[in-house]
Amino acid sequence: MSWIVRMIVVLPALAGLLGLVMHRRRLVAAAVAVSVSAYVMVLGLIQWVAPARAADIDSLGSLPLGGGLAVPLHLLSDRVSGLVSFVVALVVLAIQVFTVWYLRDDPRYGRFAATVSLFAAGMLLLVQAGDLVLMLVGWEIMGWCSWLLIGHDSERPAARRAAYKAFLVTRVADIGMVVGLVALAVRAGSTDLMAVLTASGHDTALTVGLVGVLVGVAGKSGLVPFHDWLPDAMEGPTPASALIHAATMVAAGTYLVARLFTLYAEHDGARLLLAVLAALTMVYAAVLALVQTDIKRMLAYSTLSQIAIMLSALAAAPAELGPGAGLSHLLGHAFFKALLFLAAGWLSVLGGATALAALRGRLRPTGALRWATGIGLASLAGVPPLVGFFSKDTVIDAALEGTGAGSVVVTIALLLTVALTAAYCTRAWLLLDTPLAVVPPTGTAAGPAAGAADPAPGSAAASPAVSPAASPAVSPVAQPDPVVPAEQVAVVTVADSADDAEVERVHAHGHAPITLSAALVVSVLAVLTVVATLFLASLRGGVHVGVLTALVSLLLVAGAAAAVWVAGDRGRSDVADRVPGPLRDRAVRGFGADTAYVGIGRAVTALARLVVTLDRDVVDAYPRATAVVARAAGRVGERSHRAVPSLSLLGLLGGVVVIAILGVTAWR
Amino acid sequence: MALTLMLLLPLLGAIALIAIPGETRVERAIALGATVVTAVLAVVVVWGRHEVDVPWIRALGVRWHFGVDGISAALVLMTALLTVAVVAHALSGPIPKGGTGSTFLGCILLVETGALATFLARDAILFFVAFEVVLVPMWVLVRRFGDDHVRDETRADAAGRFVLFTVLGSTLMLVGILLLVHHQGTSDLTVLADRHGAGLSRSLQVAIASVLLLGLGIKVPLWPLHTWLPSAHTIAPTAGSVLLAAVLLKMGTYGIVRLAVATVPVGVAELSPLLALLGVVGILWGGLACLVERDLKRLIAYSSVAHMGFVALAIASGSETGLQAALFGNIAHGVVAALLFFVVGDLKEQWGSADLRVARAALRDKAPRFGLALVVGLAAALGLPGLVSFWGEFLALYAAWSPAPGRPVALMRVCVVLGAVGLALAAAYSLRVARIVWAGEGSDRADGAAGEPVGDAHGARWAVVLTLVVVIVGLGVLPHLLLGLSDSATSGLLAGVGVAP
Repeated sequence: MSWIVRMIVVLPALAGLLGLVMHRRRLVAAAVAVSVSAYVMVLGLIQWVAPARAADIDSLGSLPLGGGLAVPLHLLSDRVSGLVSFVVALVVLAIQVFTVWYLRDDPRYGRFAATVSLFAAGMLLLVQAGDLVLMLVGWEIMGWCSWLLIGHDSERPAARRAAYKAFLVTRVADIGMVVGLVALAVRAGSTDLMAVLTASGHDTALTVGLVGVLVGVAGKSGLVPFHDWLPDAMEGPTPASALIHAATMVAAGTYLVARLFTLYAEHDGARLLLAVLAALTMVYAAVLALVQTDIKRMLAYSTLSQIAIMLSALAAAPAELGPGAGLSHLLGHAFFKALLFLAAGWLSVLGGATALAALRGRLRPTGALRWATGIGLASLAGVPPLVGFFSKDTVIDAALEGTGAGSVVVTIALLLTVALTAAYCTRAWLLLDTPLAVVPPTGTAAGPAAGAADPAPGSAAASPAVSPAASPAVSPVAQPDPVVPAEQVAVVTVADSADDAEVERVHAHGHAPITLSAALVVSVLAVLTVVATLFLASLRGGVHVGVLTALVSLLLVAGAAAAVWVAGDRGRSDVADRVPGPLRDRAVRGFGADTAYVGIGRAVTALARLVVTLDRDVVDAYPRATAVVARAAGRVGERSHRAVPSLSLLGLLGGVVVIAILGVTAWR
Repeated sequence: MALTLMLLLPLLGAIALIAIPGETRVERAIALGATVVTAVLAVVVVWGRHEVDVPWIRALGVRWHFGVDGISAALVLMTALLTVAVVAHALSGPIPKGGTGSTFLGCILLVETGALATFLARDAILFFVAFEVVLVPMWVLVRRFGDDHVRDETRADAAGRFVLFTVLGSTLMLVGILLLVHHQGTSDLTVLADRHGAGLSRSLQVAIASVLLLGLGIKVPLWPLHTWLPSAHTIAPTAGSVLLAAVLLKMGTYGIVRLAVATVPVGVAELSPLLALLGVVGILWGGLACLVERDLKRLIAYSSVAHMGFVALAIASGSETGLQAALFGNIAHGVVAALLFFVVGDLKEQWGSADLRVARAALRDKAPRFGLALVVGLAAALGLPGLVSFWGEFLALYAAWSPAPGRPVALMRVCVVLGAVGLALAAAYSLRVARIVWAGEGSDRADGAAGEPVGDAHGARWAVVLTLVVVIVGLGVLPHLLLGLSDSATSGLLAGVGVAP
C-alpha cells in the first residue's frame, strides 16, 4: 500500500522529467503523459477503495537535523487522500487526453504536457503529504508550474504579464504561508502533521500559524484581496485553465485547511477571518461572473466563487462535523469545472472566439458538446440530481449547523450566491444556446434566418437550466452565422478576450474536427458530473442534504433562472446589457483590482529605486570618501617632498648617522 | 598524505602554469589534470576524514595542521569540483583578453589552493595565511582578465575595491585572531573550539567577536559592507565571478562559524541581534536593488547579498538547526550562483553586454539549453521548494523563529517575517529576469545584432551547466546528502565538546 502512495507522487514527476527530455517527439511525449496519468488514476482508485490508514509512510527518510526539529517527511494515506488523489488523477488524465487534440499543432506541446505532469505531481504530493514541509513543496511546485502554463504562449505580452502576475500575487500571499508553517512547526517541534495537530500550548504561535496559512490559502485560492490573478490566468491555454481551476492549484487551499481542520475548529479568530473572506469573495465573484463578456473569464469568476464556497464550509462547519462538506464540494466542483472548461475549449475552437457575444447560439447544433455544457452549467447552478446540487447543499447544511458569527455570515452569503450562480449559469446557457435573431444584411437571406430564430428559444429555453437535454429540433441549415451587433462588442476589448492564442490558431489553421478521444473525455466528465455523488458518499459528512435547505436552494435556483429568462427575453437579449455601460465596463475589468496591484508594484519599484540611490550615494559614499581622502593625503605628502633633497636634509641625515654610530660604539 | 598532496597539487600546477610563457597544449593539460586529480583527492580526503598535523613554525607554535570535518566537508568538495567546472568551462572557449592563458589558469588554481587550505586549516594563523593567498590571484583575474568592453579605469576601480575591502577585512580578522590567540595561548582551532570561550571575560569575548565579525562580514558580504561585490562581479570574467560567488563568499561565512561561533560563543550571542538585523536588511536591500538593476551580472551580485543575508540570519539564531541551515545555504548559494554566472557569462560573451534594457531575442525557443539552465537557476534563486536553496532558507527561517536561549525572540521573529518578504522579492526579480531574457519581454523591438538569437550551449560548457542543474535538483530532492554531512559536527561545535576530525 505504501508503495502505491509513493508511486502516486513519484510517477507524475518522472513523467514530467521524461516528457521534458523527449519534448521534441510529439508522440512519445503524448504517450508518456497520457499513459502515466492513466496509471496514476488506477493507483489512486486502489488507494481510495482499499485504504489502509497510515500516517507514517516514509518518503525520503527524515532529515538529519541536529536541533530540536524533527522533519520526518512522512506521507499520510487515508480515505480522504485516496479519494482526492483519485479525482485529481482523473481530471489530469482527462486534461492530458484533451490536450493532445487541443494543442495539436503547437510546437511546445511536449513541454506543456510535461509541465502538466509536474503540476499533477505537485498537487498529488500535497494531497499525500503528512508533513508541513512536503505540503509547502507541493504548494510551491504548483505555483511554479502555473507560471509556466499560463505563460505558455510567451510570445504574447498579455500571457507574459498574466503569468508574472499569477506567480507574484500568490507568492506575496505565501509570505503568510511560510511564516505560518514555520510557526506551526516551531510550536510542535516537528513538521509532522500528526504532531502539529496534537501539539498544545503556545497560543501566539498557533494564531500566527493559522492566520499565516490562511493568508497563503487566500492567495492561491483567490480570496479577496488576492483574487484578481485568476481571471487574468485565462491567458493560458484552456487545458491549463481547466487544470488550475478544477482539482489542483486553487482547490489546494481547501485541502490544506481541511487537513488542519481540527486546529481551525478550535480557533474562532482564524475561522471568522476565513468566513468573512470567503463570504465576501463568493458573492463578489458571482456578481462579476454575471456580467462577464468572455466565457473563460466568466468561468474564472465562477471558480473564485465556488472555491470560496468550499472554504466557507470549513469556516462554518461545527468541529464534530469535520471537513467533509468542504472536501465534498471540492470534488464535485472538480468534475463539473473540468467539464465546463474543456467544453469551453471545444466551443472556442468551433467558434474561433471566447467572447460570449461571438459565441451566441453556437452551442445549438453541436450534439454532445451541447449536452456536456448543459450538464456542466446545471451542475454549477445546483440542479438536482447533479453533483453540484448535493455538494453545495451539504455545504449549506453544514453552515446552518455551525454556531457563531462566522456561520451566520457564511449562510447568508451562501444563499445569495446560490441565486447569483443560477442566474449567471442561466445567462450563459441562454446566450450560448439561443440563435441570434439577426437582421440580415441582404433581403434574400431574410426568410430562413427569421424563420429559424423564432421557434428556437421556445423549445430550448423552456427550462434552460433544469433540462438542457431538450431536443434541438432545428435543422443545421437554418443556423445563421453569429453576427455580433456592434453595440455588444463595444464592451469587449481585445484585452478582455482571453485565450487569444486559440483564436489566432483557429484563424490560422481553421477548425480542426475534434478527435474521438477528446470528445469522449468530455462526455465521460459529463457522465461523472451526474453520478459523482456516489463517490462523495464514501466521505464522512460528504453528502448531507436537509429537506429544508434543499427546498430553499431549489426555490432560489428556479427563481433566479426564471428571472434571468424573463429579463433576458427568453435569451434574445443579454441580461448583463441592462447594467449601465460604464458600470459594466468597470465590472468586467474587476473594479480596478489590477490597478491596485500595479500601484503596489509601482510603490515597491519606487522603494527599490530609492534603495539603489542610497546604495550608490550613501552606503558607498564612505568607501569612496576614504579613497578620496587617502589619495589627497598622498598628494599632499608627495607635494611636501620635493624631488631633490635639500642640503639641510642631507646634513640632518648625516648627523643622524653619525650620532647612531657614536651611540652604538659608546654602548659597547 | 592525500591531504597534503591535494593542497600542493594545485599550488604546483599554478606555479608551473605561471612559469610557462605563452599558450601551449601543455598548459591546458596541466590545468585540467591538476584540478581533476585534486577533485578526486578531495573526495578521498572527505571520505576518509583525513588529517595532517606536523610542526611548522616552531618558534610561534604554529603547526601545519589541516583536517576535514562536518563543517568543512561540503565546502571542500564544492570548491574542488567547481574548480574543475570552471577550468573545463574556461578551456572550451576563448581565454579572456588581458594576458596569457597560462596566467589565467594559474590564477584559478591559486585561488583553489587558497580556498581549500582555508576550509581545511585547523590553526588560526594558518587560516589567515590561506585566506590571504586567494587575494592576489583574484585581483589578477578581475584586473587583467576582466570585461574588456569597459574602460580601463572601471576595471581598475573594481579590482581595487575588491582588494582594499578584502584586505581591510582580513586585517581586522588578523587583529581578532591575534587577540584570541594571545589570550588563549594557542592557535589550534580544535583546542580553541574545545575551550569554547572559557577563560575569556564577557567583554573580551564581545570585543574579539565584533572585530572578527566585522572583518569576516566584509567578505560575506554583510550589509552595508557589500558595495565591493557588484562591481567585482560585473567586471570579473566568468571564471572569476563563479569563484567569487561560490568560493570566496563562503570563506566569510565559514570563517564566522569556525573562528567566531566556536571560539567566542558568548560574544557572538551578544552580537547576534545585530547580525540578524544586518542579514535581514541585506535580504531586503539586495532584493529591492535587483528589482530595478539593469545589468544582469550586477543583479546576480545583489541577489547574492540577499542570499548571504539568510545565511547570516541562520548563524545569528545560534541554534543547531540554524548552523546547519547556514552551512546548507552556503552550498546552495554556491551552486546556484555558479550556474547563473556560467549562463549569464556565456550570454554576455555573445551579447557583448548584460544590459537588460537592450531588447533581445528570447532564449526560450532559440536557445533552449541556456533557457532551461537559466530558468532552473532563477527558480532556485527564488527559493523554489524541490530545488536546493529552499532548504537553507526554510530552515534559516525556522531557526530564527526559535533561536537559541539568550537571543531576543521578538526581534528574531520580526526578522523571520521580513525574511519571508525577501522571498517574495526574490520571486519578483527572478521572474523579471525570466520574463525579459527567457520569455522575451520587449523582444519584438529587438533589431540588428540584438535580434539575432544567441548560439546555444554545447560541448563542455553544456556539460558543466547541465551538471549544475542536476546538482541543484538532486540536492533539492535529497537534502539529506548535505545535511547528513554537517549533522553531528554542528552540535559538537555549539556544545563546545569539539568536533571530531
